[in-house]
Amino acid sequence: MSISTPPVLPKYQAKDFKSELKPIWCPGCGDFGVLQAIYRALAAIGRPPHEIAFVSGIGCSSRIPGYTTAYGFNSVHGRALPIAQGIKLANPDLLVLVAGGDGDGFSIGGGHVPHAIRRNTDLTYIVMDNQIYGLTKGQLSPTSHRGLKTVTSEYGSLEEPVNPLMYVLAYGANFVAQGTPADMAGLAQVIEEAIRYPGFAFVNVQSPCVTFGEDDWQVKEHRASMKPLVKVGHDPSDRIAAMSIAQHYGRELHTGVFYRNPTPPPTLDGLVRERQREMSAPPASRATILDRFRVK
Amino acid sequence: MTRAIDFANITLRDALDLAVIVEEEAKERYGELADQLELHHNEDAARFFRHMVHVESLHEHRLAERRKHLFGDQPSSVTRAMIFDVEAPDYDEVRATMTVRRALEVSLRAEHKAYEFFDRALGEVADPGIRKMFEELRRDEKEHERRVRDEIAKLPPEPVMTADDVIDEPVAH
Repeated sequence: MSISTPPVLPKYQAKDFKSELKPIWCPGCGDFGVLQAIYRALAAIGRPPHEIAFVSGIGCSSRIPGYTTAYGFNSVHGRALPIAQGIKLANPDLLVLVAGGDGDGFSIGGGHVPHAIRRNTDLTYIVMDNQIYGLTKGQLSPTSHRGLKTVTSEYGSLEEPVNPLMYVLAYGANFVAQGTPADMAGLAQVIEEAIRYPGFAFVNVQSPCVTFGEDDWQVKEHRASMKPLVKVGHDPSDRIAAMSIAQHYGRELHTGVFYRNPTPPPTLDGLVRERQREMSAPPASRATILDRFRVK
Repeated sequence: MTRAIDFANITLRDALDLAVIVEEEAKERYGELADQLELHHNEDAARFFRHMVHVESLHEHRLAERRKHLFGDQPSSVTRAMIFDVEAPDYDEVRATMTVRRALEVSLRAEHKAYEFFDRALGEVADPGIRKMFEELRRDEKEHERRVRDEIAKLPPEPVMTADDVIDEPVAH
């Protein structure tokens, strides 16, 4: 676009979503970039902070709601999704974001993910996947790769990691994307797309831990090796193609939208709203009710 | 959202506004980095980043004055959403235990990024007035790089043992 065209300035800027709290993450943490990308995405969406609810679990990344001016709920470990769904059902007008780490989402909270997906509540789930438990100082997490050595696993992980992308695609998520703070513009764009998607939307962010993670310069590696899906000719409306690429999780870093269902199914909050409308309608006549139960 | 900037058709007013927000972004980022390092009790590196807040603030102010002189209070068509990390150092560049030398090297890379930004833009800009301004800004960035290199040269060599060898991981949590 030309920036010399008459100004159509956005209603909100990134700074409108920045709270006065200063992040206490380790300097160099990938989550700083994710936070910036979220600010940008929210500014582009244009909803005021008081119309946004930001829910998290426990972990380094789960501090994120406090760093925004939206309503925040730093909840219980692994339980951000049930709480977020409750918030959305109670107040469907709110824009609901959920954030957490890979341990929060795919270990203790792993059982909640499939149900959030099948219910298809309209919310955006951002996982900051650093492949380690950083807050508790470097234990193996569900996405730690086999062989990863940490301060508490001297001989290296014996287990295969969870693949978050395959996990959510297999359970039927209708919007699945991945980003990295190495490409903050691209990350802001996928988060914005996820928020705009009507239904459960999942964004996996490869957000390195610089203190307990394996490599001190992971973001630079991401920058050098990432493969934007738009450049490899991926069709984001093809779930099987998305799953095929998602299999490379942990070996290759694909960024962008893996899958976007072109015909979004109804959301749980939408269906509940319909049901509430029906229930608040004037009661049907006795004859109509009897007719409904007539044996045909 | 971040948008590609059409440098071929940019006006002088927008180019100036763009230059202002580039400096503003750098100023804010240096402030964030200083906050991070102060939190982790790395006063020396934090002090340097705080100094850079002052430097970028002066650059921003100088450009904003020029914009005001030429275009008064005309509304801007440029927003921060159009740029990402032009002169702002990358978040992943800093570490809790970094030395002042490392902090200066971060700044050096940031100045070089800004130089490259204006250099790339000049490949597209046709308007002579804007070319002149971008050439000046590119030259400024080169000069800033030189000054940072001079400061680095004055520093003692890095110790063989780094802070990472002798202290625990960050404990801000």
